[in-house]
Amino acid sequence: MFPIINIGPLAIQAASFILLLSFFIGSFLTGKFSTNIGTHTEAIENGILIGLIAGILGARLGFMLKNPSIMTINPLSLFSLSPSMLDASFGILVGILTLIILAQRKHLPLWPTLDALTPFCLLIFMGIHLANFANGSAYGIPTQMPWGISLWNATRHPVQLYGFILGAVLTLALLIRTRWLKTTGFMHNGVLFSAAIAGIAVITLFTRAFNAEKFLLGQFDFYQLIAFGSLLCAMALLYVRAFPRKRKIGVIISMGSNIDPQSNFSQAEDLLADQFRIRRKSGAYLTEDVHRRPEVNPFHNKVLEIETNLPYPVLDARLKAIEKQLGRETGEKVQVALDLDILTYGDCVFKAAHHHIPSPDMLKYRYLAMPLAEMLPGFRHPATGVSIQEILEKITDQAKATRINEVENGIER
Amino acid sequence: MLIHQFKSLCYYLLALIDRKESVNKKLFISIAITITLFSLAWIIFTPVFFPIVHADGLQTAPHRGFFAPPFNLTTPQGDIHTLANYQGAPVLIIFWASWCSVCKSTLPGLEAVYRDYAPQGFAILAVNTTNQDNLSEAKAYFQSQAYTFTMLLDPDGAVANAYQMRAVPTSILVNPDGNISDVIIGSGLTEGLLRVRLESLFTQGED
Repeated sequence: MFPIINIGPLAIQAASFILLLSFFIGSFLTGKFSTNIGTHTEAIENGILIGLIAGILGARLGFMLKNPSIMTINPLSLFSLSPSMLDASFGILVGILTLIILAQRKHLPLWPTLDALTPFCLLIFMGIHLANFANGSAYGIPTQMPWGISLWNATRHPVQLYGFILGAVLTLALLIRTRWLKTTGFMHNGVLFSAAIAGIAVITLFTRAFNAEKFLLGQFDFYQLIAFGSLLCAMALLYVRAFPRKRKIGVIISMGSNIDPQSNFSQAEDLLADQFRIRRKSGAYLTEDVHRRPEVNPFHNKVLEIETNLPYPVLDARLKAIEKQLGRETGEKVQVALDLDILTYGDCVFKAAHHHIPSPDMLKYRYLAMPLAEMLPGFRHPATGVSIQEILEKITDQAKATRINEVENGIER
Repeated sequence: MLIHQFKSLCYYLLALIDRKESVNKKLFISIAITITLFSLAWIIFTPVFFPIVHADGLQTAPHRGFFAPPFNLTTPQGDIHTLANYQGAPVLIIFWASWCSVCKSTLPGLEAVYRDYAPQGFAILAVNTTNQDNLSEAKAYFQSQAYTFTMLLDPDGAVANAYQMRAVPTSILVNPDGNISDVIIGSGLTEGLLRVRLESLFTQGED
């Protein structure tokens, strides 16, 4: 094979180069994906980089722990840039632990973050196979197939390419399913990630059969058994994530009106209370029109948390029906009798009919964030894990939202 | 029956990717069971379809796990060294050139290791890539450093070819049984790494 790419006087090992390339493409795609689905891109990108560095340091540490004699023989060589003195499994362990600690500190929600990391995982999977092909590692068993490659004194299955091509097919499936990384493509968090892990497990299980270097457990290949275990775990996760038990979830909705808001709000709340249990609600806030149009009356806004087990499209339709009942004309943006919007739907992160859930509006507008902070001071954004106080600090919207003290409508605050 | 199952599985997987099909619990469970059964069958039949070829490890190839390709090379003084004669003790083959700065920073460390382990039979064969080097400069460098391990000449690059050597330095550590245990390209072979490897080789031998 061709283990070295000659770039001028520098000889770069093709395998390392390919791994590095897949790392960069993977983190680029994950960054794009994360921005599109609304997770914490900055934290995720930094996390990947810090995880890599921690992983490399951990791999060197693992080598040291496995060969303690090096401390007496030649401790200085521990600081050398040699890529050989690394213990992969220990490095991966340290890297993953570092990622978990970082995610905990940043309050990143587990499942949306893993979904965002899916393209990265797939690219690394492809990269490892191509790197193995480049330096002839993990070579296949001899074969008579016409596509066999000549390697290490035999015509062999190009098993590394099987893994790479199947990985590429899986990545393509992911791209199509996510509409070229625009949405996760699934209603529930973690489905995409579990499906990708299941796919990787199936590919590994399949291609390991053609591998010449086998690590046998009984008469079975150890890696195939590991892959089978991972497949079962991934499918169990997929089941749990895709079909959560039917229970009521909290949905935060916002209410806005600039025509007779007080009576509209109380009517709307009555209509909502007929269908849902209202867990909590904020007071009303008075806001000038955010677009500063002089003909538009100031708005009243408030947020409520309701309890429901309705699927998102049904819930959305019910809210639209309430809007209509109170005289909202669709598309009317100037004279708004009542506007009901879904801000969050449980902890789900998804896109439905041009609406992103959680709604990006609450990161932009004070008239949503202020009542939300009043209603739930401990609120964290379901996709990014950012606290409502931080969201408020970062809002650049200049339209002030002032609390209206209302004692009528039976609300005493 | 299996083929029918497989067809419907492919159909549903394609539909899933294309977002045409919404999955209900029943469908998911049937897909999951199908995949699990196929995987299990594949694992069970792997040793049957693809029996392990033990002859693989008896071949020679410049890769970990294979026998090191044999060679006869001469020293600048004209002595002939045969790799096969070194069986029974670990051997480090390192391809180097006098113009290669990484080689020049690697070799002194190897000399230190060699002095400690030579009494136990460890040998270093420093194969000069003579067809890509200036012979007199290589000789002068080797003598100026007073290396005590063996310098060999590869005048037509045949041995470098046999080892698929693409960059200097390339180091190949050969086990006492003639099997290659490591192929390290570039500066990866540090003194510490070599000592750790030899330490474990020699203590294994004592058990």
